[in-house]
Amino acid sequence: MTEPIEAGHLLRDDDLRVVDGLGPVEILVGVCGLNQARTVVQVVEAAAGGLAGPLADRKAGIVVVEAGFAHETLDAVGGWLAGRAPRPPVCCIRIAGPPGRSRAILGALAVVQRLDPAACALVDAGLVSLTSAGLGRLVQPVLDGQADCVGPAYTHAASEGTLTTNLLAPMCGALYGRRIQQLLGGCAGLSGRVATRLLGTAAGGSDLTGHGLEIRLALDAIVSGSRIVEVHLGRKTLDPGLAPPDLATTIAHTVGPFFRLMDRYRAFWSEGGASAPVPLIGDPPAILPETGEIHLDRMVRAFKLGLKDLLPVWEQALRDETLALLYPLGLLSADEFVFPAAHWARTAFDFAVADHEQRLPRDHLLRALTPLYLGRVAAFLREAQAGTPARIPAILADVGMAFEAEKAGLAARWR
Amino acid sequence: MGDAWSNILVASFRDVVERLAHVAPRLLAMAAVIVVGWATAAIVRRLAVHVFRMLDLDARCARWGLTASLSRSGIGQLPSQVIGRLVFWTILFVALLTSIEALEMPATVGLAAGVVRFLPNLVIAALVWMVGWLLANFMAQAVLIAAVNAQVALAPLIAGAVRWLVLIFAGAAALTQLGIAREMVLLTFGIAFGGSVLALALAFGLGGKELAREILESRFRKRERDDDHLTHV
Repeated sequence: MTEPIEAGHLLRDDDLRVVDGLGPVEILVGVCGLNQARTVVQVVEAAAGGLAGPLADRKAGIVVVEAGFAHETLDAVGGWLAGRAPRPPVCCIRIAGPPGRSRAILGALAVVQRLDPAACALVDAGLVSLTSAGLGRLVQPVLDGQADCVGPAYTHAASEGTLTTNLLAPMCGALYGRRIQQLLGGCAGLSGRVATRLLGTAAGGSDLTGHGLEIRLALDAIVSGSRIVEVHLGRKTLDPGLAPPDLATTIAHTVGPFFRLMDRYRAFWSEGGASAPVPLIGDPPAILPETGEIHLDRMVRAFKLGLKDLLPVWEQALRDETLALLYPLGLLSADEFVFPAAHWARTAFDFAVADHEQRLPRDHLLRALTPLYLGRVAAFLREAQAGTPARIPAILADVGMAFEAEKAGLAARWR
Repeated sequence: MGDAWSNILVASFRDVVERLAHVAPRLLAMAAVIVVGWATAAIVRRLAVHVFRMLDLDARCARWGLTASLSRSGIGQLPSQVIGRLVFWTILFVALLTSIEALEMPATVGLAAGVVRFLPNLVIAALVWMVGWLLANFMAQAVLIAAVNAQVALAPLIAGAVRWLVLIFAGAAALTQLGIAREMVLLTFGIAFGGSVLALALAFGLGGKELAREILESRFRKRERDDDHLTHV
């Protein structure tokens, strides 16, 4: 068991005084930054606009939490604050320690615990697509008592968020029984109670690497039986900050925490049944046609190169029968390339088991998934391009069902 | 004549018995040392295997790539069993040396002490080699995965080069620890390492146009990839 985290553990006395200056609030918006000076003002402006609009009759505040190494983020907000009206109040704090997105979220949760609002919104400082209306949609269901946890749903093209649509979301649906569209949506609305509980149970160490806390937040809401809804927030544009990570690092920072949390929530997912969709408030998000160029041949080439050169590594992670399914795919050209959802689900769950059994150094294992993921994305996009955008939800539903079909085998192998 | 003959026989027999009486205890002591050494080795081996299994060594070695390397080297046993065998043969070897010492033969006097004095160096050299081996496997795997993800076509070659560089370095360090032809090892290592670097530079510059093109293309392709309208999260 880990010790519950108190606000005082994360925030310095100066920060606590600044936070207390916001006074008692009914709504708190935590803007979580990681070296995102370029975009933070735009996001804070949208949040302030949201609180000043339909929510103007509620007492609210905004806290900008920076957990990066650059001072520019807080300087940018400070500069913006100098020339604006004092309502709603905005304060800035900086979390000491190693830079990390999860630490920024943890800092925002600590402020929520301190101020005890009825509802809070956690927003990534790079989520430039957030609008004032969007912020209102995030917190309103919590204020109305309709939900404890509100997640975003985005209008997107097939090529957007492929790690989410082809891996994280179907795995989440299959294992935890709720088809959440965005595990890493860049924002969330929470009741103060849920936020405080999450802070209280947040473990140190591995859960806080990469996007660990964001994933933990979503999974914890499911496992604890919180009422979850989704709201449509239009299109998603997220600026990652100074140094956007490469694909292998992104996979390590997202899939890695997801796999690790499978250990924590094993009792829950091994018992669960079929998945159900999360209620959506408002219009359903649309699937847009592709506008940009996608080079499927490069992704297929990456897959084939992996099949040729990474076989000694894959042999340690994948079962023989899974590898036997993958060999024939190496003979296909980009024009005819397929990576069936069933094969992909087996592959992903084999990696989950290998990670659980620690057959390889964790980072090596997760990075070795990259060519396989690119192969799956190539096959998915080829299938999506062959039809109209309206067909894409059906394709993704098939992916979800493939993961659900593999779940029993996964539970049997998980020791 | 008859008395003389019998006297000679009796003297010879007495001489043999006296010699046997002199050597027999030593032979017995030798046999006892071997038996006790063998029994100790067997018990310690079982204990060592048990302890290393309790410490989850086999799973850890699998994670570090050591089990796969052992398998590639034709050793089909688990690391805990390999260490158990090493422990067994080390103890038995020391017991054999001690038993030879028990014979008190002029040629073997001080042999055991000399070998035992050398043992710490041998153990340290073995440790250096083992750490080098682990590091070589770890680094080679990391380089292989990174190179494949960067779509470098000759990734296994680069990973293999990294593995051998680390292994050569570890081997040189182990031999230096053993004090075997220290100057020669240093000189050989210097020449081999410097030569490898020079050969790589020449091969890359003169003969490795393909490799250079691959690397440049991979960098260029990366730039192109970034231009894809693809977001993963």
